[in-house]
Amino acid sequence: MSTGVGSTEPATQGYEILSLDDLDRVPYRGSGEVLRPLRRRLGFRPFGVNVWSADAPGDKLIPPHEEDSGHEELYAVVRGTARFTVGDETFDAPAGTLIHVKSGTFRVATAAKPATIILVAGAKEGEAFVPGGWENIHVAFALLAAGDAAAGRAVLQKTAAPEAHLWGRHYNLACYDAMVGETDAALEELRIAVGLNRDEVMKWLPHDTDLDPLHDDPRFQELAE
Amino acid sequence: MSVAHIDELDRIEMADGFVWRPIRRHFDIRAFGVNAYSALEAGGQIVEEHTEGQLQHEEIYLVLRGRARFTVDGNEHELAAGQLVFVRDPELRRGAVALDADTVVLALGGKPGEPHRVSAWEAMFAAVPYSREENWAEAIRIHEEALVEQPDHPALLYNLACMEARGGRHLDALLHLRRAVELEPKWATYAGKDSDFATISGEPGFPAA
Repeated sequence: MSTGVGSTEPATQGYEILSLDDLDRVPYRGSGEVLRPLRRRLGFRPFGVNVWSADAPGDKLIPPHEEDSGHEELYAVVRGTARFTVGDETFDAPAGTLIHVKSGTFRVATAAKPATIILVAGAKEGEAFVPGGWENIHVAFALLAAGDAAAGRAVLQKTAAPEAHLWGRHYNLACYDAMVGETDAALEELRIAVGLNRDEVMKWLPHDTDLDPLHDDPRFQELAE
Repeated sequence: MSVAHIDELDRIEMADGFVWRPIRRHFDIRAFGVNAYSALEAGGQIVEEHTEGQLQHEEIYLVLRGRARFTVDGNEHELAAGQLVFVRDPELRRGAVALDADTVVLALGGKPGEPHRVSAWEAMFAAVPYSREENWAEAIRIHEEALVEQPDHPALLYNLACMEARGGRHLDALLHLRRAVELEPKWATYAGKDSDFATISGEPGFPAA
């Protein structure tokens, strides 16, 4: 991870030039892929666009997921070769390959050649894109891992979310605060998340090790009931 | 799931010398704007000189392969594969020439805060090869398809009228031209000088500038 994770603010001038190689390298929480947060870096607002990279053949490139957000996605292999599995089909995609995947279809990719880079664009048809979402979570926890807890929390606090996903913003803040020992703040965020969408919270809470520091607190046990 | 290599996409040569490689249209992507461009030769135009003032799009141009010289707001920048220019301000004039013959630029764009709407120019670009072949039926079909989504788009209506006039559908041409002028009177001035309308310019009801 570069020392500059999360330190770059979106461009405000009329235009900006950059190289994909200069983007931050942010470990993707949970599965370890390397996110290069392009949309966040640029402050691009119309839809989601990000970059993923892998240094060596066999390295993880795109996290396994089904994109249940309703987003359709286009993957463009910029450099190297990626080995994709989409649905039940596995294939190698050399530089210049474009892969269009609808929401709800399983997809995952690893690098098949060194220094593979993929750009991904995505959004939901018929809806205005709300920027500032999921990538901030990974940036925030990367900052925490790098020892800058205050900067990481600031990133999470500034994260926007559509109303339907507000619970997730508070849930992630609860995880973050629990990990840094801010028990009262963590429980308050968790209480808000539960209030917004108990069903979703309960899908994660029982097995989320981020919240382990809260387990002995009666307030947590009450929320978890 | 649908897969294509950039070299397998259609190559639609435009009058300004650049080559449009329609990605959004190929995959029928509805949620965002994405296309690619190539050039006829090294030194040729690859991104047309334009602003996004009308559509108010933010745009990213990523060099996928080769090298390109971009001019943005009067400033020149040479970009290699893996480099991009993000034009936040839609009013800035931008364009690029290819420095290598096989250069490909990926363009992504949309208007912040609004659901994506397919740009009308895509239909006009897609119809170009058919107009060149004087296959007016197909050129008209492409415009009519786009008008289903944007029935009151003046430029689409005007272009459709051009195709219809050339294709012998004079009454349809007159109706669509009149509607374009009703929506945006400037089209009457263009129509008065447009050779596409030579066959109908003397008809009653042809809009006067």
